[in-house]
Amino acid sequence: MFNLIRRDVILQKKMLLTFIPFIGFFIFMDSHPALIFLVASIFIPFNAYAYDEKAETNILLNSLPYTRKEIIASRYLGAIVYMALSIAVTSLALFIFNKPFALSDIAIGGGLFLLFTACTFPLFYIFKPGYISSVVLISFIFLAGIGPPIVIFLAENLTAITDFIASLSIPVIYTGAAVVIMTLYAVSWGVTTIIYQRKAF
Amino acid sequence: MENVVELTNVTKTFKDFSIKNMDLQVKQGFVTGFIGANGAGKSTTIKMIMNLLRPDAGEVKLFGLDYKTHEKAMKERIGFVYDGNVFFDGLNLKDIKRIVAPAYKQWDDTLFYRYVEQFELPLTKAMKTFSKGMQMKASLAIALSHHAELIIMDEPTAGLDPIFRRELLDLLQELMMDGDRTIFFSTHITTDLDRIADYIAFIQSGELVFNQSIHEVAENYALVKGGLELLDRDTEKAFIHIHRAPTGFEALADNMKAVKSIFGDTVVIERASLEDIMYYMKGGVPHV
Repeated sequence: MFNLIRRDVILQKKMLLTFIPFIGFFIFMDSHPALIFLVASIFIPFNAYAYDEKAETNILLNSLPYTRKEIIASRYLGAIVYMALSIAVTSLALFIFNKPFALSDIAIGGGLFLLFTACTFPLFYIFKPGYISSVVLISFIFLAGIGPPIVIFLAENLTAITDFIASLSIPVIYTGAAVVIMTLYAVSWGVTTIIYQRKAF
Repeated sequence: MENVVELTNVTKTFKDFSIKNMDLQVKQGFVTGFIGANGAGKSTTIKMIMNLLRPDAGEVKLFGLDYKTHEKAMKERIGFVYDGNVFFDGLNLKDIKRIVAPAYKQWDDTLFYRYVEQFELPLTKAMKTFSKGMQMKASLAIALSHHAELIIMDEPTAGLDPIFRRELLDLLQELMMDGDRTIFFSTHITTDLDRIADYIAFIQSGELVFNQSIHEVAENYALVKGGLELLDRDTEKAFIHIHRAPTGFEALADNMKAVKSIFGDTVVIERASLEDIMYYMKGGVPHV
């Protein structure tokens, strides 16, 4: 299992060199720290799909002594591991460049990453190879564009919910969000496992 | 345990093609060649043996175990070589080894480097720069370095030049020296099989036509030539397929003895090569 997670580093050796300039760009552009944590976390796990969406990779992995369950588990656990590492590196970079950030930025960036992962990972196994990357990219832009107005619209029109959320204390909101995200992540993991087990290569 | 691979009543249906009730056994310690025309179902069968595809019905057992409960243990014991390159083509052989080796408990680094040296493979060049023959050798080096008991190959000789093909066959022969190893490989180049196969499994349109030792095939199948006047409704039954020409007939029979007793010296009987068998079988529906 650990080997499956480690393989992403071997595969992306050269890509990793662009990681630092990639974060550097966002820091230089003075982006919000939470956004920097989000894009930094996305880097490795989503690059990995450039390899994994190929049929040959799936033939290889499934011919090696791994079960399909393990292959999917390595993706979901790997995403968490690489998120943690990316956040650590990003924090260091922010610290070096003397950009202030709070723990809540890490929490929001990490939370959004996990949410995004939970929503998109199953797509990689539903759509045909080749289409997926564009589907995910478009959905990311689409969500980024259309998401905030929808949230604002809902906030204005569903006052019962907004009032309810506003009445909660900060720790409760954070805990609630964490529970919701973790549940979604677990459900997504389960769904992807079922999809993958039914696949033919 | 005599059969390393055992397919029982396996059925798999696709939109335009299906494998029907296939029973296939691969004997331990022998080389079994799996032949059939393009699209006959060779790759599909191999994919089912590798658990890349699940059969709609029937049972696939390797080493007497099934994939539901022993998937990892089974794959530890299999070495695989596929037609195309399944390894990440941007990586060099050393990195591919770093990904593949930890997957196997029995991985043997010394053995791997011995094959790398024997095959003269570069360790630091990307796989995509390899020629077809080198890719095949690289796949083979990886397949052989974890002491696999069963080696499954899908069209390993396709696209190789004659010299490479010969080298590969010699190597396989060498591998069979040490005891219990089993090789199962598909090909449509039948001359490969005359050199190394012990058993021949022949598949056509998703159905297994026969699975016999190479000697049985040689003894049973015959190419018969004779005058058209010899053919009538009864004598025709001795043949699987008959090709008629104005000058006489040429037919394939799967029971040489019966043909001899029916026609005696009135016809010319020759041994049928695997290619003859494949060619004539394709031309007609076999009698049951």
